[in-house]
Order: sequence, then structure tokens, then C-alpha cells
Amino acid sequence: MRAVDIFIQQILNGLSIASVITLIAIGVTLIFGLTGIINFAHGEFLMIGGIVTWLAVSAGLGFPLAVVLAILAVGLMGYILERGLFRFTLERPTNGFIVSLGLIVVLQHVVVLFWNPNQKSIPRPLTTVWEVGGVRIASVRVMVIAITIAVVALSFRMITASRYGRALRASVEDRDTAALMGIPVRRYITGVFVLGSALAGLGGALLIALFPITPFTGGTMVMKGFAVALIGGLGNIYGAVAAGLILGIVEGFSAGYGFSQWTDAYSFALMILVLIVRPHGLFGGTSGPRMAS
Amino acid sequence: MKDGLHQDRAGSTFKALRSLLPVLVILALIALVPLFSPSNRFLSLAISAGINVIALYGLSVLFGQTGILSMGHAALVGVGAYAAAILARDFGVGFWAALPAAALASAAFAMIVGIPSLRVGGHHFVIMTFAFGQLLAIVLTNGGDYTGAATGLDLAGPVTLFGADMSDLTRYYLMVVAFVTAAAVASWAIINSSYGRTLRAIRENEKLAASLGINVGRHKIGAFVVSGVFAGISGVLLAYFLGHISPSQFSSFPSIYLALMVMIGGARLIEGPLAGGILVAFLPEVLNLDPVQSRIVYGVCLIAVIMLLPDGLIGGIVRALRAVLSGKPKQETEQRNAAEARR
Amino acid sequence: MSPILAISGLSKQFGGVTALAGVDLTIEEGEILGVVGPNGSGKTTLFNVVTGVHRPSGGTVLFRGHDITGLKPHAISRAGIGYTFQQAMAFAGLGVLENVRIAGEHVGTGGTANPWPTPQALLDFVGLSAVTNEKAGVLPFGSLRLLGLALALATRPSLLLLDEPAAGLNDRETTALVGLVRQLPGHGISVCVIDHDMKLMQMLCRRLAVLDFGSKIADGPTETVLADPKVLEVYLGGDL
Repeated sequence: MRAVDIFIQQILNGLSIASVITLIAIGVTLIFGLTGIINFAHGEFLMIGGIVTWLAVSAGLGFPLAVVLAILAVGLMGYILERGLFRFTLERPTNGFIVSLGLIVVLQHVVVLFWNPNQKSIPRPLTTVWEVGGVRIASVRVMVIAITIAVVALSFRMITASRYGRALRASVEDRDTAALMGIPVRRYITGVFVLGSALAGLGGALLIALFPITPFTGGTMVMKGFAVALIGGLGNIYGAVAAGLILGIVEGFSAGYGFSQWTDAYSFALMILVLIVRPHGLFGGTSGPRMAS
Repeated sequence: MKDGLHQDRAGSTFKALRSLLPVLVILALIALVPLFSPSNRFLSLAISAGINVIALYGLSVLFGQTGILSMGHAALVGVGAYAAAILARDFGVGFWAALPAAALASAAFAMIVGIPSLRVGGHHFVIMTFAFGQLLAIVLTNGGDYTGAATGLDLAGPVTLFGADMSDLTRYYLMVVAFVTAAAVASWAIINSSYGRTLRAIRENEKLAASLGINVGRHKIGAFVVSGVFAGISGVLLAYFLGHISPSQFSSFPSIYLALMVMIGGARLIEGPLAGGILVAFLPEVLNLDPVQSRIVYGVCLIAVIMLLPDGLIGGIVRALRAVLSGKPKQETEQRNAAEARR
Repeated sequence: MSPILAISGLSKQFGGVTALAGVDLTIEEGEILGVVGPNGSGKTTLFNVVTGVHRPSGGTVLFRGHDITGLKPHAISRAGIGYTFQQAMAFAGLGVLENVRIAGEHVGTGGTANPWPTPQALLDFVGLSAVTNEKAGVLPFGSLRLLGLALALATRPSLLLLDEPAAGLNDRETTALVGLVRQLPGHGISVCVIDHDMKLMQMLCRRLAVLDFGSKIADGPTETVLADPKVLEVYLGGDL
């Protein structure tokens, strides 16, 4: 293969990883922006999405149906957890964070308890590999990228164009003022939790289409999601998408050029660096709603 | 007036001493356990718990007093453990000399992590510590022969005290109990000093604290460094106890368990770390749970404690006892509610 | 008398907005100065810049002849300037006595001789000795304000800046507060009160400075300032 082919190949690989990370990061950034809660369990939401997909496909359902089930299941889970737990921690976001740590442990080990800790994978939903001028393009990667672009574009439209979107952005900007203006912020918080969770469910379904997952996949993925959300500026969706692209491509290249053992380090190092140099992220964001203390 | 002041000082010292007493009594009882010839398994569990408790006392200064949560605390323990192992391997440094060296190494690492992390502010600090923890685990894994990569390092040095070999399980147990006692006393001394008051002021209100002449940033980093000293010592004890250390022991998930223990016990009370460490270590034994089930139980406990007993389990029990003893629980809750509502 | 605080040409811009446009102001040793102005006139910005919460865009602040421009909040306190906030008054989760103790443990080189040698004496002075053993968080609002004053006094300041000290107090509490603040110059503490409540200012201050749109528009004896047509115009239909 020519150098340029490898290059293009790595960009594609990077983009497909970036897609999954971006799907997490959007949820992370919206939930943080609105509630100030650092939900580390968001990675476990993704993992559950992958597990649901695996269960559905193993039960003989087709991949598209499995994806829908994953989105619905994780969305429902987000709804229940917001109503049952996170809603009571709104005044103290730190408690919300601690609750999410507890959830990580619970969700991971419930999955282990029922479906053992081993790797789980599904047959690739699309097996075609196109050869374009020496570049081998796996259609499944293209599918992941395309679905992500579609979903992200749809979310953008919802957030920028609709009345609800404007109200949502106002709420992220300043929760108290938005509430004074008559925006039902509590309901938006629930909505954002459900949306963020559903996106994580989708991310999980797409992730298992690419790689095998384990009950512990969520841990590193959520850190990447947070890295991206922080680099992009918390509360800033555009920033999250841009940062997701940057990170995915950096990781893709690193793996493609023989530094795969350092792949996980980049997101953390990059995030630490960005936070030190530009605490509000590369693209600016909120520092979250004011703490209750 | 002067007399009043002395009385007041003496009174508060007495009150402070009284708060230490239960912990000392419990630790004295714990030190008597070997008389009942416990099983090796029990002793091993107790030693692990004790080593955690030492780090937890540091974490309680950081979280309980200063209000800063570190999610990378296992990394600080790891720095201590690796420092001990590398010092023994490359320089022939033994256990006792490794203690101050490892404490220093962990404290230095805490400062390196703390300065940029605390600069970025409360919300992000937690994520920064978590990221640094992950980063350390990756660096240790990719460190080649120097850090032993993913397999880690062996440490086979003997631990002697006044010529006696302490490696024997019972003796090591007693030594760990002594270290736990020292950690508890140190943490108690911090809580009851003017330094402890300074940290609490920062926890309660940073802006107000600064207006009263407190250098908030420096003291926050200081508290993190202090907690690093506890973690470093805990790391040395761990390395010499296990005889083998590896990166996965110090990644971010062990950090979560440390935070969980301090939260379950209650971070603000001197009994908290001890209770949290012991509960988390022995609960699975008592309830006869396998590791997976026990972790689910921990997670549920953590969530329940945060939602229902914000002062931790022991804090909750103490509050309930006080309410029952004073016979007017209602008034206290009302006062609390009034205070909460005003916030 | 030499001024204890000399502010000259102090300015502050936020983005493109000018909050302070070159303010000159002096506080004389032993006086109680009032700084008034409608909302958005730059009062709070002035307070925040002098206490180090914000860095000034230009100008200098001299405290007893030393340049303290741009020092951090804790350094301002240690230099000998005490200050109280409208909102954050006391450490709610800690005891009243512990609150005062903390405040007295970080006195810097600028601290003056201490009129109140013990926390108890200070609590007696502000009239809170009855609640010494309570948690600050359970105190009624008026007592919290007094505790806030006690905390600032515990840092042994020679200059005390009070930002809307009577906000939220009823008439009786306000009178008590005025009584306390009036005693401070006698203890060697100069005072600067920032507020828009003219009634309070008339009770407290012999001299007033008026801010409007980030500039000082009047400065002089209270009666003269209150008769100034420019000031009347600013306050027309306002708090006067």
C-alpha cells in the first residue's frame, strides 16, 4: 500500500472511533451543561447499549432492530435513573457525581453477574469491503460514520432550529434565568438525560458493530467522552463534535503508525493540557451551573 | 475574660481528645485480635483493609475537611508502592528508609497533579485527578523493564523492626494496626488544629475564606499533598505486604473504591475511614458474597448513603443516636432543614 | 490627616463594557465614607477591584502609601483591609465560635492592635455572645450579618469595606448595625460603606461619594452632596 492509502485508511478508522466518542460526548456535554452533574456512568450506558444489541442479535433479531432496541432500552434507563436518582442531586452536583460512581460499579457487575465478564461480539452487520484505488474501505465503518453524521445533524437541527432547542440552550446558558422566563427546566433536564442516554445506547450499538466489548468497556470510553466534552468546552455541542473528530483522528493515526499502546493516553494528556491552557475548552463553554454551596 | 478563654481552650481540647478516644479503643481491641488465633485469610483481609484505611485517613483530610474529591487517589498509593519497589531494586533501600522516600514521592506527585488540577477549578478537579490516575496506569504499563510493564514489579525485601522479622502475618498485622493508629492520630491532629479549621473554611466557602486572609489555592494544594503523604505510606505497606505490584492495582477503578470507602464510612468523622475500610473489606465475608455480588452491594450502598445519609454511615448512626439520646430528634431535623433551606 | 486609602484613575472594562471609568477616591483615616450610586453605577465593581476579586484595567490603589493594586483577595485582607460580602456572610456548616476563630488565624502584617483580644470579646461586641455554641447556619439572617461583620473585624483591619451591610435587615437590626459601625473609628478602624440606601448612608456617613456610569459625579459632606442637582438627577424617582 502506498503511504497515502494508509493515511486515508487511518483517517477512516479514526473517524469511526470518533463517531462513537462524539455520541457519548454530546450526552455528557448537554447533561453537564444543564445540571452540572458529572455523570461518569454515561460510559456504562454505552456499554449497556452494546450488551442489548448483542442480546438482540444473539436472539436472532436483525442489526437495525437491535439498534432501535438499544436506543429505547438505554433511553428508558436514563429516564428511570434521572427520575429515581439524579433528580434529587440537582442542588448538589457533587452528589450526582458520586451517585454515578456507584452506578458504574452496579451496572458493570450486574452485567457480569448475568452475562459473565468475557468479550462479546456480534457478526459484522455489513461485511462488504470496498477497494477504491488501493484503499480498503470497510462498509461497516462507513455505516457507523454515516449514522453518526445523520444523528448529530438531526440533534443540531433540533437544538438550533426549534423552539425547544432555543429554550434548551437558554437553560444550559443560565438555568435560573431560564426558569424565571417560564421554561420548564426540570422537564428539560429529564429530556436531556433521556436524549443523552439514547445517544449513548446508539453509540454502544455502533461500537459493538466495530469491536468486541466487555462489561468494562464503558470506563475508558466515558473518559474519552469527557475528554472530548472538556476539550470542546462543557455545554458546547459544536465543540464536542469538533473535539471528537480531532481525538478520533489522532487515535486512528497513533494506532495505524505503531503506537497503539499509547492510544488511550492521548485523550487524557490532551484533556489535561487543554484544561491547563484554556480551562473553558478550545471552543469555549460554560463552567456549569453555579454550585449550590 | 482571660480565665474564660483558658477554660474554653481546655474545654475544647478535652472535647477534641474525647473524639479521638473511641477510635483508640477500637484500634486497641483490633490489636488484640491475634490472641484469638484468627485464620491467615482473616489476617490478610485485615491487613489489606488497614492499608486502605491509612490512605483513607489522607483522603478524609482532603474530602472531609477541605471538600475536594480526588478520583485518582489509588495513583498516589501506586506512586508510593512503585517508589518502594524501585528503590529496593536499584538502590537496595529497605522498608523503613522507603517510607519517608515514598511519602515524599507521592506528595511530590500530588503537587504535580494538584497545581494544574486545582487551577482549573472545582468542577474539573475531579476529572483531572481521574485522568492523571489513568495516565499513570498507562505510563506504568508502557514503562518497559523499568516499571515491569503490565506484569509489574516484585519486591522481596524483608521487613525488620529492632532485629525482629516483621514479615510474619501476625507481626505485619500488628505493625499495620500501629500505622493505622498513627494515621488516625495524625488526621485527628490536623482536624483539631488551626490548619484543620482553615481547610474547613475553604470547604464551607472559598470566597469568604479568601476574604479572611486564607490563601485558598495554596491550602488546597497543601491538603492534596498531605493526603499524598498518607497515600505514599499506604503504598509502601502494600508493596511489602503483597511482594508484587502491577499497574492495574492503581488505575482509576481502585480509586473509585477508595472514594467509595471513605464515603460509606463518612469523611468528616474520625471514625469514618476506619469504619469504611473495615466494612468494605469484611462485608462480603460476613454476607458470604462472591466478589461480583459484593461489588454490586458496595455500589448500592454508596448510592444509598449519598441519597439518604450525606454524612456517611457512621455519621448517620451518630446523628440517629444523638437524636434518640437527647429525645428531641424533631427539633434537630427542623433546625437542619431550616439551615438547608436557607442555603 | 493622610488618606488611608487612595484610589486614582481606577478603571475596569468587561469585554467592551466600561464598568469603572477612571475613578479617584480617597478614604481618610478615621472616617466613615459612603459610596452611593444606582444599580449598575460601578459600586460593586469598585468593591471587587479594590478587594482583588477583579484585576483593574488601569489605575492604582494605595493603602497607607503602599501599592496594593491587583493583589489577590487574601493578600488584601492580610494587608489590613477587612471586607464583607452581601451574600457570603459566614461559614454556615461551622460553629459561631469556630467561625470567628478561623477569621482571627490569618492576620497578616497589616493587622492593627486588637481591640477584641478573644473571639468571645468580639462576639460580645457584636452582640452574639448568646449564640457562641450554635452552628452559624441556624442563625437568623440579622445575626448572620452581624457574624459576617465580626469575621471581618477578626482579621484586625485598619480599613473596613462593607458592601450593602444592611441589605435584608429590618429597622431594629439596621439601627443596631449602625450603632456598631459608628464605634469602629474609635477603635482605629476607618470604614467605607457601599450602598444605595440613602437613609442608611445619612445615618452613618459624614462624607459621601456618588458614582454613576462608572464615574464619580460628586464627593463631599453628606448634606452638600445630597443637595447637588447632579445627584438629585441621578436619584430622581429613585431611593431618595
